[in-house]
Amino acid sequence: MPKIKIDGEELEVELGTTILEAAKEVQVNIPTLCYLEELSVYGGCRLCVVEIEGEKNLKPACATEIAEGMEIKTHSEKVRRVRKNIFELIISSHNIGCELNCLDCSWNISCELKEIAELIEIDQSRLDSINERYDDDNSSHAVVRKMNKCIDCTRCVRKCEEIQGVGIFTKANRGPETLITTFKNKGMGNVECANCGQCIHACPTGALHESYHYNSVWHFLNDDSKFVVVQTAPSVRVALSEGFGEEPGTVATGQMVAALRRLGFDRVFDTNFSADLTIMEEGYELIGRIKEGGKLPMFTSCSPGWIKFIEHFYPEYLPHLSTCKSPQQMLGAVAKSYYAEQHGINVEDMIVVSVMPCTAKKFEASRLEMEDDVDFVLTTRELIRMIKESGLDMMNLAEEKADKMMGASSGAADIFGATGGVMEAALRTAYEVITEEELGKLDFKTLRGLAGIKEAEVEIGELTVKAAVAHGLGNAKELMERIEAGAEYHFVEVMACPGGCVGGGGQPVPTNQETVEKRLNSLYQIDAEKKLRKSHENPEIKAIYEEFLGEPGAKKSHDLLHTHYIPRSI
Amino acid sequence: MGERQLLKKEATTDITEHNFSALEKALTMEGAEVVKEIKEAGLKGRGGAGFPTGLKWELALAEEADDKYLICNADEAETGTFKDRYLMENVPFKVLEGIIIAAYAVGANKGYIYIRGEYSKPIKIFTKVLKDAYDEGLLGASILDSDFNFDLRLIKGAGAYICGEETALLNSIEGKRGKSRTKPPYPIQSGLFGQPTVVNNVETLTSAREIIDLGAEEYGALGTEESKGTKLVCLSGDISKPGVYEVEFGELTIREIIEELGQGVKNDEQLKFIIPGGASTSIIPAEKMDVDYSYEAIAEIGSSLGSGAIIVLDDTHSLLDLMVNVSRFFMDETCGTCFPCKDGNKQLNYLLKKAVQKGGFTKKEIELIRSIGETIILSARCGLGQTSSNFINSIFDNYQAEVLQRGNEDAEN
Repeated sequence: MPKIKIDGEELEVELGTTILEAAKEVQVNIPTLCYLEELSVYGGCRLCVVEIEGEKNLKPACATEIAEGMEIKTHSEKVRRVRKNIFELIISSHNIGCELNCLDCSWNISCELKEIAELIEIDQSRLDSINERYDDDNSSHAVVRKMNKCIDCTRCVRKCEEIQGVGIFTKANRGPETLITTFKNKGMGNVECANCGQCIHACPTGALHESYHYNSVWHFLNDDSKFVVVQTAPSVRVALSEGFGEEPGTVATGQMVAALRRLGFDRVFDTNFSADLTIMEEGYELIGRIKEGGKLPMFTSCSPGWIKFIEHFYPEYLPHLSTCKSPQQMLGAVAKSYYAEQHGINVEDMIVVSVMPCTAKKFEASRLEMEDDVDFVLTTRELIRMIKESGLDMMNLAEEKADKMMGASSGAADIFGATGGVMEAALRTAYEVITEEELGKLDFKTLRGLAGIKEAEVEIGELTVKAAVAHGLGNAKELMERIEAGAEYHFVEVMACPGGCVGGGGQPVPTNQETVEKRLNSLYQIDAEKKLRKSHENPEIKAIYEEFLGEPGAKKSHDLLHTHYIPRSI
Repeated sequence: MGERQLLKKEATTDITEHNFSALEKALTMEGAEVVKEIKEAGLKGRGGAGFPTGLKWELALAEEADDKYLICNADEAETGTFKDRYLMENVPFKVLEGIIIAAYAVGANKGYIYIRGEYSKPIKIFTKVLKDAYDEGLLGASILDSDFNFDLRLIKGAGAYICGEETALLNSIEGKRGKSRTKPPYPIQSGLFGQPTVVNNVETLTSAREIIDLGAEEYGALGTEESKGTKLVCLSGDISKPGVYEVEFGELTIREIIEELGQGVKNDEQLKFIIPGGASTSIIPAEKMDVDYSYEAIAEIGSSLGSGAIIVLDDTHSLLDLMVNVSRFFMDETCGTCFPCKDGNKQLNYLLKKAVQKGGFTKKEIELIRSIGETIILSARCGLGQTSSNFINSIFDNYQAEVLQRGNEDAEN
């Protein structure tokens, strides 16, 4: 192995190691900005430049591999001077200087530029602000782009292309006109964007954020004539507490419910309830398709990012999508019918708000096919803002339970937030419905974990159900290619975001492999600790079918809980 | 004393008038022998960087791959440079010979000539050259009845300066955004479509053709120790007789080139300085002009021969305006990938324009501009950024007193 020296420390490293990686071995963290471990190396920001003995120019640590005998200085006089200058250039050329707008920035608590400023000891700013002025891109229902804060690091471009396999962003023009944009500058709302919001997690500066609904929600919370109900998705409860300084994965279900009541919501429901409802509808749909020779494989339809993706890129496969609405939409639909009827609430006065780990849910709620089900969608981050604004010390609130009728759920619903969870939940129910026997082992371990594509065969009576699970749209694309090439499955689960909803575009920052894994483990923990672990055993689910819906898939269910899809162009 | 014509000789655009003797000769040799000739002749790249051509070919020849590419870089866009245009318009078959010889030497079976889009006449000429060459069996399968096959295609650039940078050029041919690639890997290892690729300038390839024609010994006898052969010089600016001149290295000083070949400064004005290799090189002031025209002599006085452009400036120009002009060029032409080049050149342009408005710099401003310039040079990704502030720095080096803001030199802001 080649021997090198980093800041005087001798070490041996494998060939192919970059200077950035090698430096970590001697406990040196070189500052980076355009670099993200999961993405291809771009070598654009040059903040990670280091001095190599005998070389005239500085070299980027992220893109330079070590060579025998290399002597590297990571913070020589020259390096320090150059780094600070580059940083000054970045803040002068973009509308991100602190005196300008740090305070109202969506990234005010998580700005990577602030971190870098601290790391490299920025102590002056000699340059005037000379940024171009661009209009914000408000064309999308899900994500807003504030070009004035964009520093062209291309992390969003690479995330969208390399992880999600979509690629709506590109770099256009050159020189001072260089910018990141969408095809023909049409705006995110008018291109093949899946609305997944993964670009938000990639952005270091706050140039991307969700389309905010929280001000509208505040408005209706303060309007006494409105009956405002809220629902929370499974993966919000394992991430919300991160906004209040807790370790990723800290479960805060009860505190969250209490906080929502204190914010003024008239009822606090649980999207987990409608996740169980989804399993009933989707499970029966699958059984029906298998028995009656319907389109197979059947694809799950809970992830609105996945729906938009398949509408654009695989429209010929739309008949394979389950017609079930997502749990968010189902809850909205039954809140405005079942709950409103039983409690004598005028549907016109009911406002349904949902708290989701997701930006695509904002688009989903606006779809004309089901526009009235849900009125406003908050991301986990937006709820954190609201709770903070209300001054609540959330983690010290006494735990409360969600409201009855649409508040109970099984462990099967909790794991909806994890990749493979919907599949596992569906199999638990399908097994017992088809075989009329009790399922012994509830955990389908092969469907768990962060492998990009998981496959499993499950014996249900005489039938072998072939299942496949993909998370992240890049993996979804690969799975679709397998299907196009002839791979046969009965049931396919796809979640648009890496890790499933726990890694959603609306989750707290940072959302990365580490935080995603911790949130994921917590969901499985909640499931394991519950007595009730199968959707069809949820008493409130039994009640809604007895009192209101009739049978899964029957007329009323069909009208309220199912939808259709739209082929879109690319 | 005067021109030493080699490249410029035997001009024709008619294939029947051209004698393909050099190519015929090369095809009787082994590829390695051709490489050896070029190495022995001491040819250096004529595009600006001056990398030894023989070494490049040798490394490329040693690469094992399914495909190898030979690319003729005719995206001539360095300011004041128009020698490649001259070659393509006047001796296109020599250029073609150079390309085929290079491809043969390194074992490349596919090639491109990448001509800048604004060069409509060379594009027209070369389109016909390619057609005629295919018709005459000079391109395609079994060239001149040998067992060497080589396909050559013409690509038109779209007007970006950065695409003359070899890795950006590769991206451009691949249909990608014209931005530089991080090196290593060098194109010789992984170039066009990931295959070993040699990128050579038009004049380099044409000179290689002359080397094969004359033999390394005869060619190598021309020039100096470090600069062999002849070089095309593009005289422009405030000069009486602008044009493309061919000189033997070391034979003339820059002053002689200006006064004898270019017949002196236009309108009898006073010579102030020259830019020896386009806007990316440092200026040479009038008093240092008695320097031999060679790579080493010009490097010794702190500049670079670059592409061979000599832009002559008399003393009637505003230095501030010139600086703004050059910085505008680099600001507009950066590919926008690396931050120091993209944001740095923009900031330099802003600071220089500010100085023009108030009639000069404070010392503090000069310090700041130099500091940004140094940052761009040290940390930019490719040659564009790494040379973009040479001109500005060299004005400060030579004429700082002239660009200070009178009466306000020591101001804090």
